[in-house]
Amino acid sequence: MSYAYLFKYIIIGDTGVGKSCLLLQFTDKRFQPVHDLTIGVEFGARMITIDGKQIKLQIWDTAGQEAFRSITRSYYRGAAGALLVYDITRRETFNHLTTWLEDARQHSNSNMVIMLIGNKSDLDSRREVKKEEGEAFAREHGLVFMETSARTAANVEEAFINTAKEIYEKIQEGVFDINNEANGIKIGQQHSPTNPSLPGAGNQGGSTSSGCC
Amino acid sequence: MDFLKSGLKTVLGAPEPGQQPTGAETVERLVERVNSSTLLDDRRDACRALKALSRKYRIEVGAQGMSALIQVLQMDRADCEIISYALDTLCQIVTPEQFDEEADNPTVSVNVGEQFTEMFLKNSENVTLVLGYLEEYDFRVRWSAIKLLTTLLANKTKDIQEIVLVSPMAVSKLMDLLIDSREVIRNDALLLLIQLTKGNANIQKIVAFENAFDRLFDVVRDEGCSDGGIIVEDCLILMLNLLKNNSSNQQFFKEGSYIQRLAPMFTIAPETEENGWTPQKVSNMHCMLQVVRALVSPSNQLQIISSCQKTMRTCGLLEALCNMLMGSGVPADILTETINTVGEVIRGDLSNQEYLSTVMAPSNPPRPAIVVLLMSMVNEKQPLSLRCAVLYCFQCFQYRNEVGQASLVQTLLPSSSEVSSLTAGQLLCGGLFSTDSLANWLSAVALMHALIENPAQKEQLLRVLLATSVGSPPVSLLQQCTTLLQQSNYKLQSKVGILMLLSTWLSHCQVCVKAFLSTPSSVAYLIAQVSANEHDENEYLIQGLCSFLMGICIQFNDNSLQNNKREDLCQLIVKRIGLEMFTAKLGDVSKHEAYSRAAKQPQIRAKSASELLLDYEFCKLFKALESVITKTVNGYDVNGPNLTELTLSSEASDLVSQYKDIIREQDNKMNDMKQKIAALEVQNETIQRQLTDALTANSQLTDQNILLKAQLTAAAGAGAAAASASAEPEPANPTTSEPHVALNTQISFYQSENARLLEEIEALKISLHDKSRNSSSVVEEFEHLKKDQEDLLELLTDQEKKILKYKQILQNLGENVDTEDELDDEDFMERRETTSTSLTSTDDHPRSES
Ligand SMILES: Nc1nc2c(ncn2[C@@H]2O[C@H](COP(=O)(O)OP(=O)(O)O)[C@@H](O)[C@H]2O)c(=O)[nH]1
Ligand SMILES: [Mg+2]
Repeated sequence: MSYAYLFKYIIIGDTGVGKSCLLLQFTDKRFQPVHDLTIGVEFGARMITIDGKQIKLQIWDTAGQEAFRSITRSYYRGAAGALLVYDITRRETFNHLTTWLEDARQHSNSNMVIMLIGNKSDLDSRREVKKEEGEAFAREHGLVFMETSARTAANVEEAFINTAKEIYEKIQEGVFDINNEANGIKIGQQHSPTNPSLPGAGNQGGSTSSGCC
Repeated sequence: MDFLKSGLKTVLGAPEPGQQPTGAETVERLVERVNSSTLLDDRRDACRALKALSRKYRIEVGAQGMSALIQVLQMDRADCEIISYALDTLCQIVTPEQFDEEADNPTVSVNVGEQFTEMFLKNSENVTLVLGYLEEYDFRVRWSAIKLLTTLLANKTKDIQEIVLVSPMAVSKLMDLLIDSREVIRNDALLLLIQLTKGNANIQKIVAFENAFDRLFDVVRDEGCSDGGIIVEDCLILMLNLLKNNSSNQQFFKEGSYIQRLAPMFTIAPETEENGWTPQKVSNMHCMLQVVRALVSPSNQLQIISSCQKTMRTCGLLEALCNMLMGSGVPADILTETINTVGEVIRGDLSNQEYLSTVMAPSNPPRPAIVVLLMSMVNEKQPLSLRCAVLYCFQCFQYRNEVGQASLVQTLLPSSSEVSSLTAGQLLCGGLFSTDSLANWLSAVALMHALIENPAQKEQLLRVLLATSVGSPPVSLLQQCTTLLQQSNYKLQSKVGILMLLSTWLSHCQVCVKAFLSTPSSVAYLIAQVSANEHDENEYLIQGLCSFLMGICIQFNDNSLQNNKREDLCQLIVKRIGLEMFTAKLGDVSKHEAYSRAAKQPQIRAKSASELLLDYEFCKLFKALESVITKTVNGYDVNGPNLTELTLSSEASDLVSQYKDIIREQDNKMNDMKQKIAALEVQNETIQRQLTDALTANSQLTDQNILLKAQLTAAAGAGAAAASASAEPEPANPTTSEPHVALNTQISFYQSENARLLEEIEALKISLHDKSRNSSSVVEEFEHLKKDQEDLLELLTDQEKKILKYKQILQNLGENVDTEDELDDEDFMERRETTSTSLTSTDDHPRSES
């Protein structure tokens, strides 16, 4: 499957906030209520379309436990985007954001796009963190923010795709050195505008219909 | 040596005449100099000398100099030369091998290198320090650091892996070495990465994340792919490390379209076919095949296997492999591994299996590749590993492939016997009757795989007739198998094969069991084998397999053969063998070493032909049926068939036992509730009594109160009269006011007491109300449970009726089920009784099993 660009993402945040579920929802369009604890890192991939260009997302799901922190750190440098996730029904996961952000900023390349995600928006009755708080935190630290639900799929597409758009814009502005693979970006063999006859595997993700372009 | 001496001289100054310093002394002085000299040049010279001495005086240099050398690594960063000396010296010290120079030194023990490694690892910062020098571009430093790390890794793999994992950029730094233009660095970095990734999934993932596959494929391509040198092999070994048992990386490899980069590498150039394969090419190709297998190994996640298999077909990798299979000049061991690989690429994937079935060999006349492969399998002259590979590939071809299974059996059926060309079925039948016992075994197992989970083909195979000799009438394949078992010159391995074939054939197929039982002497043979008293591990295996087959004949018996019904066969076991003996012999199968060997993985692995006894799929069948058979057979007793659920079909008895469980559970709940109600009633009574008491006390008090009030009024009247008689009533009339005050206090006491009691009554009333509400909800729940139970009983009755109906239908169809019908009725009535009695008694199972 040819693509114009390939972006590497990582998903970080406390354990249990729904990182693995977000990945599964994005790549497989399903929700698995009982999910294994992620040991180390798992991998998923999907094709999306931005600005008429095929973009391949490679996503590494990390384990949130303290014991795996140092392993997670090894992934920062090579990632172009990070989804930093907390759980809106558990305040402590929100409180830990600062630590996560420090870790990410310290070990990543300075251009890495970080998307802040308040997950489990379907559990509004058990909400402990107000949406405004998430917005304020994001504004303060220069992050993009979104509330999602891996269960209902609300905003999941948008979260991954908006991150990609942000990266894409940075590329257009020439901020990213796209020839340095360590930035988590790869240029595809076929760099021309999308070939309309491409088979559907990438398009079937439905990113085109998500209406965020 | 001269250089060394002069070097030493410059460092140490000329020795005192007539006094040669010992090695230890020299080392001591050098270390002292490294430690304390303020001149870099001095320290550098001392380091150089230490490096030179470290082979002969390893212990001295290591014991005295390690901390000095580490200090150099910390302090002298700016001088590449001294750093490289320090790294090299450390590398010598920790090397596991013995140096020639120290061969005659008795104090050097075998593991001195390991001990120094441990010493060095005491502080993990030391490793971080060395990792840091990977970033130094200077050739000497970078190369020395790589070599030191590789040696440390070889000694203490786990420790170093842990340290690398907690150093965030360590893997990135290592990966950067792969694009170093200096080949020595790149090649040694590869070796380092191979060591580092061994058995550590987290490091494997990070290495893959750091674009390892891109880098490795680039190197492989630049070096000429499979025609390249050992560096290609190293790249492939590292790739293999990253993929084996690592689902995340397998997924990444597939998603990253690396399978597509692998595919063209399997195309064999025409020159190679002519000029033959170099040993390096054989090694490279072997590794490439291993990489493919790591992606589709049956032990991987199903979803990864099937997505990789699909890609391998669509990108032409399967085709390239099949071309190799049918190509000429491919060395035998590569051919064997290619056959194994093709097997795993098609296993369970219909399209890939179909593809293989269309591949034709360029023979004259052209034959299907599968036929050509099977010809090798039954050919005694082919190497064992190749024959095993063919069987494995054939099994993979049959795996979940109804079409393939059917077409194999089809080639054996009478209608197709006219076809002149050689077919797979004919080859396998030929193999069964060959004089080569391995061919017997391989053919039996291959045939068996055409029947797995395929009831239709089990019945079809019954129709197969064989012409044994000219003039005599044809016999069925089934009968021929029974005959073969009884031939004394048919070897043990062959018999094991036939017994596995028969077990698979008859399992879950009543028609087949009936056919087998109708074959003359089949039962007699089995009984004779099971009751035999031969003491030999392999004889035990035969006896166990015969028990298993016997068990299958009981389990899947439709009770339509006179004298060979379930009971008859069970009676036979009880009388001729004994239940315990039967169970024990059955258990011998899974205790045999061949069982654990075969059950490990689908691939057939054997060092010698005699090791081949049991098959992976057979072990699965055995595991699934062993306990069922034991249960069935033990359900019969010496005194005739027992009236248990075992006489029901397994689904029906499952259902019945499920209902029994539910009823038992509800019984327990009901008993609990009853007890609770009783307790509440007692409590209620006590409260009632207390309430009555309180009410009585209250009315007494009210009476008293009224009385007192009357007294008070009287007293007040008297008091008023007295007051009007005197101007100063109180002092003037102390006698009347005394009792007045006392009465007043008494009244207020009684009033408050009264109020208190009223409150108490109120509280008691409330609590009584609560209690009675509680008890009514318990009663309600009880009613509810009762109703549930009735529903369940109704369901059960329905179920029973259905079973009866089915029995009826069976009967109408000519099956003999009378006795069981009666048994069922009795059984059912008993159960009804059980449940109704249990409502009133706690003994929930009054029925005694006789
Ligand atoms: N209701 C709800 N539950 C979720 C959502 N996302 C994840 N979960 C649940 O949260 C738990 C942890 O999810 P998981 O993806 O394993 O968290 P991780 O440790 O961050 O990978 C699981 O039980 C999920 O079913 C969501 O959006 N809504
Ligand atoms: Mg997880």
